[in-house]
Amino acid sequence: MSKPVYEPVVIEGCDTIIKLFRYRVRQLGKKVAMREKNFGIWESFTWEEYGKKAREIGMGLISLGLKRGDVCSILSENNKEWLYTDMGILGSGGVTSGVYTTDSSNQLQYLVSDSNTRFLFVENEEQLDKYLEVRDKLPDVKKVIVFNPEGLHEFQDDNVIMIEDLYDLGRAYEKEHPECWDREIDKSDPEDLMILIYTSGTTGPPKGAMISHRNCMFQIETFDKVTELSDRDEQLSFLPLCHILERLVTILIPLKSCGTINFVEGSDTVPENIRELSPTIFIAVPRIWEKFYSAIQLQVKDATRFGKWFYHLAVGIGEKAADYKIRRESIPVGLSMIYWVTKKLILNNILRMMGLDRLRWAATGAAPISPDLIRWYLAMGVEMFEAYGQTECTAVASTNPIGDAKLGTVGKAIPGTEMQTSEEGEILIKGPSVFLGYYNQPEKTKETVVDGWLHTGDVGIRDEEGYITITDRLKDIIITAGGKNISPSEIENQLKFSPYITDAVVIGDRKKYLTCLIMIDQENVEKYAQDHNIPYTNFASLCKAEEVVDLIWGETVKVNKKFARVEQIKKIRLIDQLLTAEDDELTPTMKLKRKFVNKKYEELIASMY
Amino acid sequence: MSGNILTLRNVETYYGPILAIKGISLDVPAGRIVTVLGANGAGKTTILKTLCGAMDPQKGKISFLGKEIQKTDPDKVARMGIAHVPEGREVFPLLTVQENLMMGAYGRKDKQGIKNDLDLVYTYFPILKERIKQKAGYLSGGQQQMLVLGRALMSRPRLMLLDEPSLGLSPLFVQDIFEIIRRLNQEQQMTMLLVEQNANMALKHGDYGYVLENGRIVMEDTCQNLMASEDIREFYMGIKDEGVRGKRRWKKRKTWR
Repeated sequence: MSKPVYEPVVIEGCDTIIKLFRYRVRQLGKKVAMREKNFGIWESFTWEEYGKKAREIGMGLISLGLKRGDVCSILSENNKEWLYTDMGILGSGGVTSGVYTTDSSNQLQYLVSDSNTRFLFVENEEQLDKYLEVRDKLPDVKKVIVFNPEGLHEFQDDNVIMIEDLYDLGRAYEKEHPECWDREIDKSDPEDLMILIYTSGTTGPPKGAMISHRNCMFQIETFDKVTELSDRDEQLSFLPLCHILERLVTILIPLKSCGTINFVEGSDTVPENIRELSPTIFIAVPRIWEKFYSAIQLQVKDATRFGKWFYHLAVGIGEKAADYKIRRESIPVGLSMIYWVTKKLILNNILRMMGLDRLRWAATGAAPISPDLIRWYLAMGVEMFEAYGQTECTAVASTNPIGDAKLGTVGKAIPGTEMQTSEEGEILIKGPSVFLGYYNQPEKTKETVVDGWLHTGDVGIRDEEGYITITDRLKDIIITAGGKNISPSEIENQLKFSPYITDAVVIGDRKKYLTCLIMIDQENVEKYAQDHNIPYTNFASLCKAEEVVDLIWGETVKVNKKFARVEQIKKIRLIDQLLTAEDDELTPTMKLKRKFVNKKYEELIASMY
Repeated sequence: MSGNILTLRNVETYYGPILAIKGISLDVPAGRIVTVLGANGAGKTTILKTLCGAMDPQKGKISFLGKEIQKTDPDKVARMGIAHVPEGREVFPLLTVQENLMMGAYGRKDKQGIKNDLDLVYTYFPILKERIKQKAGYLSGGQQQMLVLGRALMSRPRLMLLDEPSLGLSPLFVQDIFEIIRRLNQEQQMTMLLVEQNANMALKHGDYGYVLENGRIVMEDTCQNLMASEDIREFYMGIKDEGVRGKRRWKKRKTWR
């Protein structure tokens, strides 16, 4: 197997992420690097502070015996300490691996032992308890460091220290070895393993994807070329940092853009925080964009007749203008003027209400999205584009260039990489973004990367201009009993576009016809039930109400009209449990896991055949 | 025991612009104790106020004994047989115990019946008989609670709405009050809708329960099943399974299953 060797990517004279970090800290000093809301007040933290804390953590880890290449895991929600720690680990030559806060203690145990974690960082006592439950099975963890000491004042354990203690250790070590930090950073090499990203295992246990400095350097350099970052950018961080996309967006991109990161208070305050901060760039998963859209639809329904009329008028004009953009034609002068006025008078107000009025552009990725939804955002005046990628190619493989986008496709391969389709239609990627392999799994790596080509497991088509359309995951393609190949995600995306449907799983592999399991949108369906006097008490009874089933069936029929005869959904069932990220049915990014759902709801599915 | 004496369907009530209960549907079968649990501000009291006519629902239907009673004036609702025992007791402090009780029978004309009911109240609450002439304001909290229960009984209701009868009472009194509530239910076949923060007591004595959160029902089941539910145990009864460090301070996320 010949491994292609790529030139290191150099930004500001630095060829690794940690060298670039050191450079930025010196260069930017007092500029605000991040903000965090504490007790209701947004507090700012400068690059200087970021650098100092990272350095203390790094030195502290070395004083505790960290060796180059040792893995450290972080189990925390997004916060400034996550970033300090990540850079501290990298600075001392360690490798960072993230653990989802929704993971159970057993999952934590698996991830920590699979990655040979030496040092474990946990957010608070809740997460610490997960470690304590399985500590007997984790003898190799040298120290556990807790970010937030609240509730642990009386707690004593030789293996557990607080982050303040680590800062002290770091400062003490620094006094004796003042040159250590720079020396360790200078040792970093572009080809070094930098981070481990565990991919959610829909088949078998999670695998640790090894990402190098070069992968990340290439990715941020290219991202800047594609989107034009700015040092005045304000970003919001709320998706889990263990996910490659959020890692790229929150930690790595600011190293290139010098922009500011803002951490949301919690998952339920995202809408408020967006309104407070009004980000200038926004990269999110489709689920978030669907939520915004649903919220507006809901408000429109409650608006006065006058308000409704204005909204539909404005969106109508916006869609006309958007359609020109979609066809990549210039908008006629007359329409362009009318659109400008509607934007000023109506659409911008709606965007301001959502906190999206300062957006320079918005990106969606990590899951399929309905093209209609992108069209709506374009109509609203939001420059939204779709990107595609996966952990194994360091998040982004292709993007729809702004102003040259083709709706329904995931765009062209990012500069410096190649994309092809195999004979089976599988999408293959080659370039400096392709990862180093799976941690301790050479067999799996060999299956995934062949002759430098990353096999993505996605099926798609590449048109003559190089735009890629993804049909589905290779293993998700449904072959009906009649022998027809059907891509479930296309149908599912159309279903999810309905404000009443949060997620859907189309079923029908080796079956006579297609059926679908649907997760309803609680807020919107409850509102529907109230408006139509449908009695219900809790979520389960809401899902059982005949009128609600009829409503969802009506939405399904609407979607069915867009598809061919073999692709018609014949029956549906609603999932009558409100699922949260802790549930095994959902990935931490809140996608339904097809395999798992198929198994868990076997009986429900069987009832449709 | 035949059917539901009271049913609510999609009831919505506002305080000015604030939607306090967001579509509540619940049933109260005759002869049962139905309990509504919820934290402060969940909308428990609003449900009772909407039922007794003190507040008008914006939407939805309330039917009592087969008649729709939403937006009916409180005095008419009371005459129809719904007695509201308000939160915080609300006795007439300057009237005597007996006068207070007679206020409960204000809408009635059958002198003999009133006399019988008065005797009945005194058998349930002998302490009230001892203080017949005392001004109600001088009674202890527990005695005042008994007095308002008695006052409600004096209207010979078909349904009693009890709003946090345990509020501000010593644990011993709470037990007494619930004992009497249970006896009234069993011996007089009194139907009750009981709103409580004291989940332990309410679930012990109730038949069926609803859990209210932010104006919505998130869970319903028999009280026995609710008592066994992990969420109820942790969030309403304060029972936590021991964590690895002995005590566990953080809370699990609610799932309502």
